[in-house]
Amino acid sequence: MRDVSVIYSGGVDALHHVNLKINDGDFAFVVGPSGAGKSTMIKLILKEINPSSGSIYVNGYNLNKLRRRRIPALRRTIGFVFQDFRLIPSMTVYENIAFVLRVVDAPPKYIKKRVPYVINLVGLSDKARSYPNELSGGEMQRVAIARALVNDPQLIIADEPTGNIDPEMSYEILELLQSINEIGTTILMVTHEHSLVRHFGGRIININQGEIVFDEIVGGNLINES
Amino acid sequence: MRASGVKYLLGKGIENIWKNRMMAFASFCVLLISLLLVGLSVLVSINISSMIGGVEDKNEVIIYLQENATDMEISELYGALVRMDNVAEAKFYSKEDAFDDMKGNMSDYQMVFDSLGEDNPLLDAYRIRVEDIGRIKDTLAQIDTLEHIESVRAPMDFVNILMELRQILTMVCGVIILALIIISIVIIANTTKASVFARRAEIQIMKYVGANNLFIRIPFFVEGMITGFFAGLVALAVTWLSYDALVELLTHGTNVIAIFGMTSIVRFEDVAIPVIAAYLIAGTFFGALGTVFSTRKHLNV
Repeated sequence: MRDVSVIYSGGVDALHHVNLKINDGDFAFVVGPSGAGKSTMIKLILKEINPSSGSIYVNGYNLNKLRRRRIPALRRTIGFVFQDFRLIPSMTVYENIAFVLRVVDAPPKYIKKRVPYVINLVGLSDKARSYPNELSGGEMQRVAIARALVNDPQLIIADEPTGNIDPEMSYEILELLQSINEIGTTILMVTHEHSLVRHFGGRIININQGEIVFDEIVGGNLINES
Repeated sequence: MRASGVKYLLGKGIENIWKNRMMAFASFCVLLISLLLVGLSVLVSINISSMIGGVEDKNEVIIYLQENATDMEISELYGALVRMDNVAEAKFYSKEDAFDDMKGNMSDYQMVFDSLGEDNPLLDAYRIRVEDIGRIKDTLAQIDTLEHIESVRAPMDFVNILMELRQILTMVCGVIILALIIISIVIIANTTKASVFARRAEIQIMKYVGANNLFIRIPFFVEGMITGFFAGLVALAVTWLSYDALVELLTHGTNVIAIFGMTSIVRFEDVAIPVIAAYLIAGTFFGALGTVFSTRKHLNV
């Protein structure tokens, strides 16, 4: 992101000349109070909105020049994990994950191999035939992570992935994301749970009132753990 | 896209009907009712116009011949009448037949006829029936140019009333059918909109994982097509059965037919093919069309 500003039509100044580079293989936390501009940043990366000024590059795509009809191609290189899971309620766990591969027109053979593999990776092999409403919050989020992972994206964006689940489950989710990061996937996680950030450490980007006020790599602080 | 992808999307559309069966049922009912309303009104208007046609077929122009016309001239006149393109048939009605008919009809006045003895005061005539009553004026003008004609009696009052009646009915039916079509389209659009709205979250998720618009739309489209097709099928069955029952009732239960003649009722078999085609095509088309418009709004994520 180079010198990016976003001013919403209501005159709200959401981001203010932000410069940010997320490196390949980073595990970056984005923290900050509500309304600081965290969601705006994610919407920019997804090209759900366009910046008022400045330029954005994501996974080799220049978003300023990206045409509307090429947006799906961009989104296929990114995996998303949302606070509210956003699983398709009418599809089983297996179908939810397989859907991503069907969208990219993957061969059926590959789908049959790949989907059970990622389901196994997140430890839900016995729930593959369940529907989202039969799962706990932690399980749904693991399905969402498997879905984000299945297409082997370069970048996974997690927007408050632990916001709707138990604290002890949150650690599991983060460990899962961390292990995904270790095999080379860049992870950008928005959160306001400072205890999690302190526990795991990594690159911390603090946004406040549309500006980056802190961006440093911090080691995990295990002392604060009781 | 590979064949497996196409198969997946088609299968998905069929599966969605079951998974969203309440909404699918609502769309189905709306389509069914719309098709029935429009279909039945079209059939009724076809019948009304056929009935008027049946009455028109009873039209008769009587051409009285001059008393001194020879047999030769009379048959020449016949040839000239039959050659006119608007004359459906011409029958010779001799003055003897006319006299006998008159005696039969007016038996109370036997004495008057007896006093006439063998004298027949009537004239030979041709009774003709015209093809298209709307062109009767031209036909009469043509007849006027022929020779050996004493006078012509045409049912002009009757013709004028029929023409007016037909015009009014055609207009009324047209307006009603048009209104029904418009109402149907509005209701269908709203129902599919509601059905798609209920699944907008699903559409949004699909967009987030990088599905393009076509990929999202095809299952909806297939779903709409199939729902519409079945609505058309059921509408057809209902129309067919109720139509036949109604014809049965009119034929055997009332005297309506006696007035207009049985031939004026259109039998379902005569219009079956266009009706079947219209129902199935309209059902499928509107079912699918509804989804195109209603998904559009939710695709811009």
